[in-house]
Amino acid sequence: MSALFDAVLLALLITTAVTIARARDLVTAVVVFGLYGLLLSLVWQHRGAPDVAITEAAIGSGVTTVLFLVAVTRTARTERR
Amino acid sequence: MLLFGIDLDYLAFGVLFCVGLYMVVAKSNLIKKVLGLNVMQTAVFALLVTSGMIDGADPPVRTEATSAPFANPLPQAMVLTGIVVAVALTAVALALIVQIHADYGTIEVDELKEAP
Amino acid sequence: MRSVAVRSAALILVVVLIGVPLVVTVATLPAHGEADAPVHAAVADRYVEHGVAETGMPNLVTAVLLDYRGFDTFVEVVVVFAALMAVLALPRGDLDQDGTPETGGDALGASDSPVEVSPIVFYVVRTLAPFIALFAVAMLYRGHASPGGGFQSAAVLAALFVVLTLILGRRRTERLLLRRARPWLEGAAPLAFALVGAAGMLLGGTFLSRPGTVDVHLVQETMGFALEIGIAVGGAVILARLFLTVER
Repeated sequence: MSALFDAVLLALLITTAVTIARARDLVTAVVVFGLYGLLLSLVWQHRGAPDVAITEAAIGSGVTTVLFLVAVTRTARTERR
Repeated sequence: MLLFGIDLDYLAFGVLFCVGLYMVVAKSNLIKKVLGLNVMQTAVFALLVTSGMIDGADPPVRTEATSAPFANPLPQAMVLTGIVVAVALTAVALALIVQIHADYGTIEVDELKEAP
Repeated sequence: MRSVAVRSAALILVVVLIGVPLVVTVATLPAHGEADAPVHAAVADRYVEHGVAETGMPNLVTAVLLDYRGFDTFVEVVVVFAALMAVLALPRGDLDQDGTPETGGDALGASDSPVEVSPIVFYVVRTLAPFIALFAVAMLYRGHASPGGGFQSAAVLAALFVVLTLILGRRRTERLLLRRARPWLEGAAPLAFALVGAAGMLLGGTFLSRPGTVDVHLVQETMGFALEIGIAVGGAVILARLFLTVER
């Protein structure tokens, strides 16, 4: 059962990473990056690493996502080409 | 955790690393490049922590509730350090990108190459 | 145009050339999950067996970070501090003498169309903020015995600061960083390591050494706690300052 959960998590991780690569709108890319951080935090917890899970949830979905969002607001909103 | 002769978890993290690498190399937008860098870093962290895992093990905190076997604490400590360094790196890169946009008006590498 | 197509093909070739050997190598590593994998063969057993007896900390990850691999953590907090210095050294046309911008304004969207903060977000964040801060402090205090510790508290405190800046604007949250004492707060982590290391030199003879037996329990715990406070305060202030600099 936990192997199935594992497989679904990993498939979702790869799907979100490909979505980040393909998104033209940078705000979309950053928001999906926040989701990627949250999925990663679940992976850490499933691997028996609660310290890393707390840090990743706070930094990956918190600080880094907001940093990106602020940078996108200050520069360009869409990717050309 | 599944095993058909190759380790599927490691394979997934390798593919994730390649997705990040593609974003860094092939995208022209600077913010996309930094996003790709983050994806690469998290793929490496995932590989490190997964290598320290033992099937059915408890987190490496020795209280009355946990018992042997324990997950390996060494990769987790390394990855904690790595996550903090990754966010510092991202912050420096984004500060530079904001400055570039203020100076040149664009953050696409193709257009920056032709700027005076 | 032809050059664009050639460039795309060359890039994909580069990624494939690097990626395929990498994925094959990584996928055929010894499988994870078994207790006798080569990864565990070196020192992990010793840390798990004797960690509590030698360091006095049930949380083995904190024991590794602060005691067994204390030098690595010391250098890493210096690296983060240096990243802040690099960001502060960028030439900024719109800053005052002491580094604060001349105009205040809302966080997101000061240079774009103004974005209204939704009242739901405002009230939820304002209500939860003290509990989040309390949780971070509790994690710091219990960091040696349960999941938690210096870096985790720094991460949660920095995330709290970022969210508060989003809803309140930077003018009101900047004061949290105590402008007069700010250089000391930013350097708190390397400073804590240097001081505790010097104390270790007085007690044990080498830099950052801790008394070997658990009889000197109080001294050991105090040193560990001082390091964790330094990491938490220094890390949180550095991350908050990095965010404010990018956010202008």
